[in-house]
Amino acid sequence: MKVSYSYLKEQFANPDAILNDIKKIIMEGDFTLGDELEKFENNFALKVSKTKYAIGVGSGTDALRLSLIALGIGQGDEVITAANTFYATAGAIATTGAKPVFVDVGEDYNINPKLIENAITPKTKAIIPVHIDGIPADIKQIMEIAKKHNLFVIEDACQALYAEIDGKKTGSFGITGCFSLHPLKNINVWGDGGIISTNNEEIRNKLLLLRNHGLINRDECEFYAYNCRLDTIQAVVGNHLIGDVDWITEQRRSNGKLYDFELSKIPQITIPKRKENFTYVHHNYVIIVQNRDKLLNFLRENGIDAKVHYPIPLHLQKASAYLGYKKGDFPVAEYQSKHIISLPVHQHLTEEQKRYVIETVKEFYR
Amino acid sequence: MNTLDNEINEKKINETKEEVKVKYINLPLQFSSIRSEIIKKITEICESGDFILGNELNNFEKSFEEYCECKHAIGVANGTDALMLSMVALGIWRGDEVITVPNSFLATAGAIVAIGAKPVFVDVGEDYNINPKLIENAITPKTKAIIPVHLTGRSADMNPIQAIAEKHHLYIIEDAAQAIGAKYFGKIVGNFGITGCFSLHPLKNLNAYGDGGVITTNNDEIYEKLIKLRNHGLKNRVECELWGYNSRLDCIQAAIVNIKIKYLDEWNLKIRRIAKIYIENLSGVVKVPFDKPHEMAVYHTFIIQTNKRDELQNYLLSKGVETKIHYPIPIHLQAPARLYGYKEGDFPIAELQAKTILSLPIYPELTEEQVMYVISQIKSFFR
Repeated sequence: MKVSYSYLKEQFANPDAILNDIKKIIMEGDFTLGDELEKFENNFALKVSKTKYAIGVGSGTDALRLSLIALGIGQGDEVITAANTFYATAGAIATTGAKPVFVDVGEDYNINPKLIENAITPKTKAIIPVHIDGIPADIKQIMEIAKKHNLFVIEDACQALYAEIDGKKTGSFGITGCFSLHPLKNINVWGDGGIISTNNEEIRNKLLLLRNHGLINRDECEFYAYNCRLDTIQAVVGNHLIGDVDWITEQRRSNGKLYDFELSKIPQITIPKRKENFTYVHHNYVIIVQNRDKLLNFLRENGIDAKVHYPIPLHLQKASAYLGYKKGDFPVAEYQSKHIISLPVHQHLTEEQKRYVIETVKEFYR
Repeated sequence: MNTLDNEINEKKINETKEEVKVKYINLPLQFSSIRSEIIKKITEICESGDFILGNELNNFEKSFEEYCECKHAIGVANGTDALMLSMVALGIWRGDEVITVPNSFLATAGAIVAIGAKPVFVDVGEDYNINPKLIENAITPKTKAIIPVHLTGRSADMNPIQAIAEKHHLYIIEDAAQAIGAKYFGKIVGNFGITGCFSLHPLKNLNAYGDGGVITTNNDEIYEKLIKLRNHGLKNRVECELWGYNSRLDCIQAAIVNIKIKYLDEWNLKIRRIAKIYIENLSGVVKVPFDKPHEMAVYHTFIIQTNKRDELQNYLLSKGVETKIHYPIPIHLQAPARLYGYKEGDFPIAELQAKTILSLPIYPELTEEQVMYVISQIKSFFR
């Protein structure tokens, strides 16, 4: 049996309804910004992030980068984030001219709030907690630390669309929340895309200019800026999928619960402790296992497309060389990078496929 | 002219005065001829799920390399990013200066400022492009690059610019966003600088259905660096060599322009034919652009000049002809340029042109009747 990590073939097996709406855009020639984008932004703010505003941008990376820039963060500043995130979080910080400062993670794979204060210096301007794999970070503690030290919190919610803490959505705690609409995200479009959530009108107005050359109208520029727009045709795709967010999330949650229940019986496997007041959206289903590389090979040999998110922590990447980190600086992230595995958990998995994944893992440790 | 065009034209002639008879741009018309080919391709991509950095992007980059007769083409998110990533790849950064023109689209200056460098403007000539004679005055020890803009689809005067760049050890980054296919002494633009930066924006001659851009280069090292910079600095799936950006050309957009690029020469030929009709009929009435023998312009815009610009624009609109101004406020007079101390009078030619220029409709789908209608209305305004 084959169990692929990607679900795009199943999801877009019949794209006719979306294509018909894209054809309308083509007939109108309305390809950048425009009504469909505004509709998607309103839908997203109302339904997904539960914030006053949402602003479509080019990608999740750009959502982070533009948030930093909108807050005036750049050269000479420091921004704190987790050592185990996707490259884009650090890339977004570094490309504004600021310095990424890493903090080790906890057993939930997210930034360890207890270690944040040690990393704060007079140059620190913001904390970017990453809700990794669809697991919410401990945002309440982080918000308290930020308040105490007068720092911004920018949520990297790229992997955690529609997750919750105490019934409140990820992306609605920080000054901005940054989401990716990349084809392999929980709400996905047919190319790169991103969206920023915020309750702050001033930041929203600044972001609208930042994404479109700083233009206040066709001819007048308020400040030099970027081209970073969510394509209108991608907003059409987003408008079609946004209604599925409950179903998608529910499928992934129930897949996660089944895996939790079955795999917790295996002594060689550690599942992060689930909190009652958190809603997990399982963008990736990640567990800590013994003999990771052998399990990975075994699963792949048996047709299961397991992955590792991610095998090399950021502070040990060549790109970090100038920051002066070394092996041993973040022991938890380093340990996890050698022991984590991501199992297919997407919304189109069949009962048979899920059972097969569970049985194959069990067979490996038998 | 085919039957459909006849019908459309007849319908238009019967329409009332307020109706637009000649739109400035007509994207649906362009789409109609290749609609089924494009929809089929998008469907295929959906079925394969190959949306990011996939086969269709590779195919388009190969087509673009062939078309531009260059070694490498790299698809990126848009033309602005093409400029920004080129500068980052060359190590241009905070404290550096980059020379460009004050009459370009804002994005050229925006890209320079985005990487922390200072935009230094140089006035333009009659051809709307950077005046090579004025460049050396603007060079300081901090200058790292010159970004000539091939504005209106006409190549800047690259021979003297290259000589200056060589003498002062500066990079040339071509802003070819408006000039895909244009030639200078038989050589296609995008091959004169260390990189050439193209836009695939819906209003460009080779246009996607959203934002898109391409960088050309004949330099292997810069190519390798750009490939990483556009994709998070990744050398492979797990190794990150430098902190980068996410600036990829979507496969869907790449597939669309890869279909269109086959028609680009034909479209550019039609555009040049329309330009010729405008030039032949409007010389002596207004100031018209002209091709020098060594130039092959692709007329992304067809710009005329008159002291009665605003009146003419209003008159034409009342007769159903849409026109535009590219651009009414020079970059150095926009609010953010004040930070650099620029003021009115600094670039007299660009400032004068901003008050007199008017862009006439020009695209392959325009019929000869429509072109003649525009001409007759301009003539009747001046009569």
